[in-house]
Amino acid sequence: MSRRARLLLFTAAAAALAVTLGAGLAGLPSFGGQITSYARILNELAPRQRHVTDVVSAITFDYRGIDTLFEEFILLGAVAGISVLLRPLSDETRQLPRDKAPDRAIPPPSPAVWLLAVFLSSLLVLTGLETVTHGTLTPGGGFQGGVILASAIYVVFLGTNYVTVERFQPAPLLEASDGVGASGYVVIGLLGLLAGASFLSNVVGLGVTGNPISGGTIPLLNLVVGVEVAGGFAILASEFLDQTAVIRTRRR
Amino acid sequence: MTGVDLAVPAPAIISASIAVPLAGAAVMAGFSWLLPRWARDLIAIAVALATTALTLILMASSAGHPMIYWFSGWRPSGGTVIGVDYAVGPLGAGMASLAGVLASAALVYCWRYFDTARGRHHALVLIFLAASVDFCLTGDLFNLFVAFELIAVTAFALTGYNAGHPAPLQGAINFAVTNSLAGMCVLMGVGFLYARTGSLNLAQIGQELTGRHADGLIVVAFALLTGGFLVKAAVVPFHFWLPDAYGSAPIPVCVLFAGVMSELGLFAVIRVWDTVFSGLAGVSRPRMQAVLLGFGILTAVAGAVMALAQIHLKRMLAFVTMSHLGIYLIGVGLLTPLGLAGASLLVIGDALAKSALFLGVGVVQHQRASVSEIRLRGRGRGLAVTGVTIVLGALVLADLPPFVSSVGHALLVDAADQADLPWTEIVIALSVIASSGAVLRAAGRIWLGWGADERSRPDTGTDDDPGEEARSGRLRSVPLTMVLPPLALLAIAFGLGLGLISGLAEHATAAAAAFSDRAAYAAAVLGPHGGPVPAGGRVAVPASPAASAGGVLTDLGQVLAALCVAGIALNRRAVWLRRALAAGTGWLRRLHSGLVGDQVTWLAAGLALLAALGQAALH
Amino acid sequence: MSVLAYGVVAWLFLVGIYGVVTSRNLIHLVVCLSVAQSATDILLLEIGYRAGGHAPVFVSLPAHLGPAVDPVMQALALTDVVVGAAVTALLLALAVQVHKRAGTLDPDALRATRE
Repeated sequence: MSRRARLLLFTAAAAALAVTLGAGLAGLPSFGGQITSYARILNELAPRQRHVTDVVSAITFDYRGIDTLFEEFILLGAVAGISVLLRPLSDETRQLPRDKAPDRAIPPPSPAVWLLAVFLSSLLVLTGLETVTHGTLTPGGGFQGGVILASAIYVVFLGTNYVTVERFQPAPLLEASDGVGASGYVVIGLLGLLAGASFLSNVVGLGVTGNPISGGTIPLLNLVVGVEVAGGFAILASEFLDQTAVIRTRRR
Repeated sequence: MTGVDLAVPAPAIISASIAVPLAGAAVMAGFSWLLPRWARDLIAIAVALATTALTLILMASSAGHPMIYWFSGWRPSGGTVIGVDYAVGPLGAGMASLAGVLASAALVYCWRYFDTARGRHHALVLIFLAASVDFCLTGDLFNLFVAFELIAVTAFALTGYNAGHPAPLQGAINFAVTNSLAGMCVLMGVGFLYARTGSLNLAQIGQELTGRHADGLIVVAFALLTGGFLVKAAVVPFHFWLPDAYGSAPIPVCVLFAGVMSELGLFAVIRVWDTVFSGLAGVSRPRMQAVLLGFGILTAVAGAVMALAQIHLKRMLAFVTMSHLGIYLIGVGLLTPLGLAGASLLVIGDALAKSALFLGVGVVQHQRASVSEIRLRGRGRGLAVTGVTIVLGALVLADLPPFVSSVGHALLVDAADQADLPWTEIVIALSVIASSGAVLRAAGRIWLGWGADERSRPDTGTDDDPGEEARSGRLRSVPLTMVLPPLALLAIAFGLGLGLISGLAEHATAAAAAFSDRAAYAAAVLGPHGGPVPAGGRVAVPASPAASAGGVLTDLGQVLAALCVAGIALNRRAVWLRRALAAGTGWLRRLHSGLVGDQVTWLAAGLALLAALGQAALH
Repeated sequence: MSVLAYGVVAWLFLVGIYGVVTSRNLIHLVVCLSVAQSATDILLLEIGYRAGGHAPVFVSLPAHLGPAVDPVMQALALTDVVVGAAVTALLLALAVQVHKRAGTLDPDALRATRE
């Protein structure tokens, strides 16, 4: 289709879709009104039954834990897929960035930038760990904390250079953490099965509400997801950085 | 008939059917650097075969009554569903087993095919398999969405595998953009239904909607959910991504896509219809039938016509796949258990045949460094086994008796007769004849050297694809792991048709009847709060349809007609016919521009159309 | 209030799709896709909203608290964000490779798969 024809067809379709969506949205209960009984039941039950204060975490890792298992594998699949898509191909080679003028060294990063990077990345790691481990008590959890942890690597890259970053994250370690995180979730799920209950049942001791360790398997799953997400995003960082800094077309 | 008694408790098997492939995938993704090459292939194949075995056990043991399994132990409390459930039935478990068989065949084929990715493609295939199993077994609408997205994410990555060439990359982009928009539509539909009914469980949503009248919100939810799944199922006008993706994805990946991924889209359409929307008051069944049949017929015909116009073998098979998806939609769209049973058996038989075709084309590409029918003319000598495989595959697609697809076709014909729509059978027959004829024409040109020498014809459209082996300069003799899987798949199709499982047609019909029974499903899932269980009626299966002489003659006639089409296509004197057809269908070909902007525009237009039609059918 | 709140959903979704349809740069296309994605997140969160409600976190609560908002929709939105991130990352990787192999980032200039 010519661009004009495409635009005409789209305008017509968009107008029709606007009407359609409008009709659908008009049927929704009024904004800010009552919430569903499913939600109300969970808000009442979760703190009592699971000894957690963050109900969203309880839903994510307990009541609807099987959804999160597949969500975790969406991330694993995406990371594996990107590793496949960005791998060095047969006409490419890996070559560390080197200064073309052999008699000069790459100037080291300025002390101010370096200091800022150290400070920020430490802060990010601490925040990330806090978010992961307190997922049962306050908003947060494995996914959110894992991303914060992984972003520390970007800060290190910005403050130093590629070679330093590579030294901090050997590829097998990252892949292993990814794999451990993903299989850890499955293993914890099987624990429930072994204990005679359903897959992903919460069979570990529930602890006292308000303690960092409470909620049974929920903090364990948080930890495991945090490991997987952090490892996954770190792999992503390394893959995209490789494409810009390291992978070059092979000169025949 | 009651299910099979299991020595191992059912919860273990149900959990294992997803835990095994997921754990296998995690090991492949995280620890493949530890394992030698042969170990990775072996473990992956073993995991896929184990998953197939588990889902087959589930299929056998759930015949007669669905097995409901609540994850994390959260059973419904006071009539409200709190947790997520699996509702295992023979139809769903059967589709999951099909996914397992195809994944195993693809992984065996991969043994000597992928070499630069160090085990990550194993992880992707195993995750794809786990997600397909979840998709087929789940009873929760949001879990269905999550599985839908997981299948999609692994599929996008696998499509773009040969990342060194623009065609797979473009195919992957078109696939990813259109299908992630489809996922967004599905999620919006889920949100709308939750807002109205307060639940994410299929049975509970259906129970809440039973007897209510469909207003704007319900119609829009229907359009968004069905539209999103129809994108995955590559139904016109949501299908434009399919030839781009299937035509450039690696061969073993095409096996998975063509055999089971798109069919899962149709599975979701009928699943959501049967459990959620079919109980609405004021639903006009004839109009809904007409809507689905309309989409199915358009897809079947367009796919067949486009298949005839292709010389790129993989794109041709992509359009053949699309045409058959239209036929399954016709079967599903009859909205009767018999139609659904016929479509299911057709899906199984055709999946085995299409996979054999793709794998055969892969062998040709491996050995002759081309997928262009014109360039391969006469170069099939020395690949006799593959030639037989491809011809046989095309004939099975044309419903050659006694393969299982002819059993399915017979059931579908009976369903159409029962629904007073015998003219749909003609549409089905013509589409099948045309699409199989295209493949047979290609086989005739490649192996027998028939047809005019058209190498001087200017190359338009998608370029030829010499395959990774030729590009890397390593042409070896074709390994057994590439030749045997297609034959094995065809053998399974043959065995099933001959009666490997006795009473296949009856089992399929019973499974479809259980699948379509909304009230019984709600009662099974929700327990005593699900309302009274109606007396189950048995769906009458016409006596031994597969053996009826009329059915066999029709199928043989289709096969002969397909061969004739191939012959006419190759006949030098029929060139005027070919030119006329090409001129008449040029507009259709030009629409398939491969540009993602066009494809998304058609998606938007299709959604709007579906909403309008849904409004008419649900009132 | 309802009209404006829910109208945002339709607007964002359609504007995102418009961006995808008319895009001349793959990176721009990917971002437009996430705009459309955010429409679905907003829809879920708005369905779960309750006027005067507080977050479903039952710690350090003030003395006079209202009802809590819907936690299920928040869990669903969280999942949707993860899905969106995964797809965005995949598409960006594809864009990187397309730029290398086809020499262009213009989706309308890609001619590798067509009739």
